[in-house]
Amino acid sequence: METTSPVERLLRGVALTLVVVFFMFPIVWIFLMSFQTNETILRIPPSVVFSPTLENYAALITGKLQTASGTLDIAFMRNLGNSVLLSVASVAVALLLGVPAAYAFARHKFKGSEDIAFTLLSFRFAPPLLVLLPLTQYFQWLGLSNTYFGLIWIYQLICLPLILWIVRGYFEDISADVEYAYRIAGHSWFSTFRKIALPLAGPGIAAAGLLAFIFAWNNFVFALVLASADKQPVTVGALAFVTASGIQYGQIAAAIVLSITPTLALALYAQRYLVEGLSLGAVKG
Amino acid sequence: MASVTHSSARRSRFRISKRVLPYVLSLPALLVCIGILIPFFTAVIYSFQRYRLSQPWARQFNWGDNYLNFFTDPGFWNTLKISLLYAGVTVTLELLLGLGIALLLQRRSTVNNFISIMLLLPLMTAPALAALMWKLMTNPGFGILSYLASLIGLENFRWASSPDTALLTVVLVDIWVYTPFIMILLLAGLRSLPTQPFEAAALDGVPRSFVFFRITLPMLTPYILTATLFRLLDSIQQFDIIYAMTQGGPGDTLTVFQVEAYLNFFQSTNVGRSAALLIILWAITYILSNIFIKNWLRLRERARGEA
Amino acid sequence: MTTLQLKNIVKRYKSQTVLDDLSLDVAGGERLVLFGPSGSGKTVLLRLIAGVIEPDAGRVLIGGEDMTDVDAEHRGIGMAFQNFALFPHMSAFDNIASALTSRKSSKDTIAAGVHKVSKLLKIDHVLSHHPKALSNGQKQRTALARALVGSPPLLLLDDPLRNVDAKLRFEMRLELPRLLAAQGATVIYVTQDYKEAMALGDRIAVMAHGRIRQIGTPAEIYNAPADIEIARLFGDPTINLLEVVPQRGPDGAFVELSDMRLRLPGFGDEIVGKQCVLGLRPETIAFAEAASQGAIPVTVEAETPLNEKTVTLGLTARGREILVSRPAGTPGPVAGPAHIAVDGRTAFLFDKATGRRILPSELASKRNGEAA
Repeated sequence: METTSPVERLLRGVALTLVVVFFMFPIVWIFLMSFQTNETILRIPPSVVFSPTLENYAALITGKLQTASGTLDIAFMRNLGNSVLLSVASVAVALLLGVPAAYAFARHKFKGSEDIAFTLLSFRFAPPLLVLLPLTQYFQWLGLSNTYFGLIWIYQLICLPLILWIVRGYFEDISADVEYAYRIAGHSWFSTFRKIALPLAGPGIAAAGLLAFIFAWNNFVFALVLASADKQPVTVGALAFVTASGIQYGQIAAAIVLSITPTLALALYAQRYLVEGLSLGAVKG
Repeated sequence: MASVTHSSARRSRFRISKRVLPYVLSLPALLVCIGILIPFFTAVIYSFQRYRLSQPWARQFNWGDNYLNFFTDPGFWNTLKISLLYAGVTVTLELLLGLGIALLLQRRSTVNNFISIMLLLPLMTAPALAALMWKLMTNPGFGILSYLASLIGLENFRWASSPDTALLTVVLVDIWVYTPFIMILLLAGLRSLPTQPFEAAALDGVPRSFVFFRITLPMLTPYILTATLFRLLDSIQQFDIIYAMTQGGPGDTLTVFQVEAYLNFFQSTNVGRSAALLIILWAITYILSNIFIKNWLRLRERARGEA
Repeated sequence: MTTLQLKNIVKRYKSQTVLDDLSLDVAGGERLVLFGPSGSGKTVLLRLIAGVIEPDAGRVLIGGEDMTDVDAEHRGIGMAFQNFALFPHMSAFDNIASALTSRKSSKDTIAAGVHKVSKLLKIDHVLSHHPKALSNGQKQRTALARALVGSPPLLLLDDPLRNVDAKLRFEMRLELPRLLAAQGATVIYVTQDYKEAMALGDRIAVMAHGRIRQIGTPAEIYNAPADIEIARLFGDPTINLLEVVPQRGPDGAFVELSDMRLRLPGFGDEIVGKQCVLGLRPETIAFAEAASQGAIPVTVEAETPLNEKTVTLGLTARGREILVSRPAGTPGPVAGPAHIAVDGRTAFLFDKATGRRILPSELASKRNGEAA
């Protein structure tokens, strides 16, 4: 578009390089660290070239760590399993409940629909602890403390509004005439929902589900407040890991790598959808 | 010629279920709403009570006392100050950095696209885990950043352990995680701008600074405002990064609203104060978000109408 | 084929009344055209008949049965939309087949039905394509095929030729009546093009503001329009409208045109002195010799040759414009002074205040009025 001088192009290149280094460096460093023995890690100056080892990952996966003072049990795999369970289940439930609700909101402008939508949206910006702290007591009272069931329901607070908001927009984008045509052709509203609305909104539903998964996986404070050690996901588990004594830095790094890989991989795989979802459709072409 | 038969029984059954259908479908959304509102109002009640978990028998209404006490409580003003400072610094720096990077990546090219995808990654990292990563990087024993700091003469830079530099450290983490968010929004905005004004300016030989300040920036304003508001609302209630890094310490240097409320609830078991703090925070975010939502819904309606 | 009756249909959106106490009676096998400008409520009415929208009041009867509370999928209707409304994620074949798959017929029956209709509409070579690979004309035919394939007794066509280019529209205007006649269904056809309305309809219902202003055969609409607006909408070039005040004469009422008297047979004293608008269709005016009886002098200003006719613009003695239309090829004056002859019996007289046509007195008592 505009003609750039070589100096300018050089400056631009330098700036971009610095930016990329800044944002990529921590991930790269942790990744490298996860393949280093404790001895390599503690060496000063830090070594770029080293012989990698898999012992950190092995310790995490087997759950046992051999140290000078004996064997230590590491329950990190349990945290990973919790993350998977909570995120997948929460998104599945949120999709099951949210997609039909989004359809109802999109197609039937009934009394109260705008109010419900507004409430859900305005609570996206509200402090989570406001709801969570009283919930600790309600959960105890209901017997839901530290249960997967209770946690999945609370995770709906993260996933459901997101799915409702994004998917409703996709349903609204489908011309009503197309659905009318299928109805008139002799099909029930449910058949129309299944065969016409769902496929046409498919990309949006996938985007919403992906984003909900990432948000659920990355969540910290919900599980911190409402879960105990055996049900905590990796976000809380990793912190406990770090503050525990006797854990080696290599394993901490490996734990962090295992914790962030799923979301990073998903993000790379589906990056196109993320822009729209992140801005809640505020950025529409 | 096809003929269609109907039974009146089938007719009435469909009509009833059709009326009820939207409500049935959106029931879960309604339940979630209720699930939010009940604890919310409970918290409101708590904020008007003198309530300590360690002394449940002494629980009683003290009405506005919790709020009034804040005026004379240096701890509250500290919380307010740190929260506003944190939000202000992070959002400003992220805005400037995000805008700069978006401008650098504006042109569509394989390299630029690749870089913008890569820059997504910090945003996709759990903020609590990002804090842990930076905690390791700033570890005085082996942390790469401590090492680099010592190279430029800053021996024993205490990063998050020192009251002087703790804020700097968490701000750094916040910038690392959230700048890509602003970058993505502004990049999408930049790429969606119409090309004619810029082509015309190029033809007329208008200097680039003029183009930037008088054409680009004004057209980007809705995106900038959206990004700023989103981030402000999130930043003022930041919990994950700060708690994971220092749990509010050292001392009370990082006791922003949600961290302070958390500590009040679980450490000092002071439910009343905790609730009151959160209600104040909620009020701030509610006012700000309402302004934003009202305008945004209006813009969306207008865009829908034109479509 | 089946009958359709609408009784006192009312439909409101927010505070606006879109359909205002509308009633309609369509005979079995009839082709009824709903004609009117946008905003007149035609599209809403069609969707109401189809059953995808509910009326706020009134009943819809199809084949004599009250279908007001019946869902669209049970009404036995075929509908073609203005914007085609094809399913983008399905092939043309599946689009058309959708009207048959709801009946749980065998795959062979469905395939046979789809091929039969698509051959009729000449799209059987693009059946495997998806809508985005089809041209507008092919999309339109696919939409039509989908409406026809189930042989529904009632067909609703919502301006299907609107989004199709002019040449194809012209072809379809010839093809459609043949197709629809072969189907034998009762057809409700919506259009904003008066030529289409006159070519396709057994009867035309002219709608405006949610009401039917006039309903009748094309000839009735053209030769006996209920008001100025309808007279103006039907006819090309547009009807000449001149403000006049009729006077009493020895052999009936007359109006003055170019200082000459134009007798209006059939009208009596009731129009004398009334503010009226005279309507003269350009093709009912002919050029005449100066000496012939009743010749009215005009000054020819310009002449426009159109394909099948030539239109001349003339000015009366008082400077009012009159368009005269004659078949192409017939001779006529090109410029300067000329004379025209007008048969007073073909003239319309409208009440200037209400716009409604004033019926010749002998007929007024016989008629029981047009549809409201």
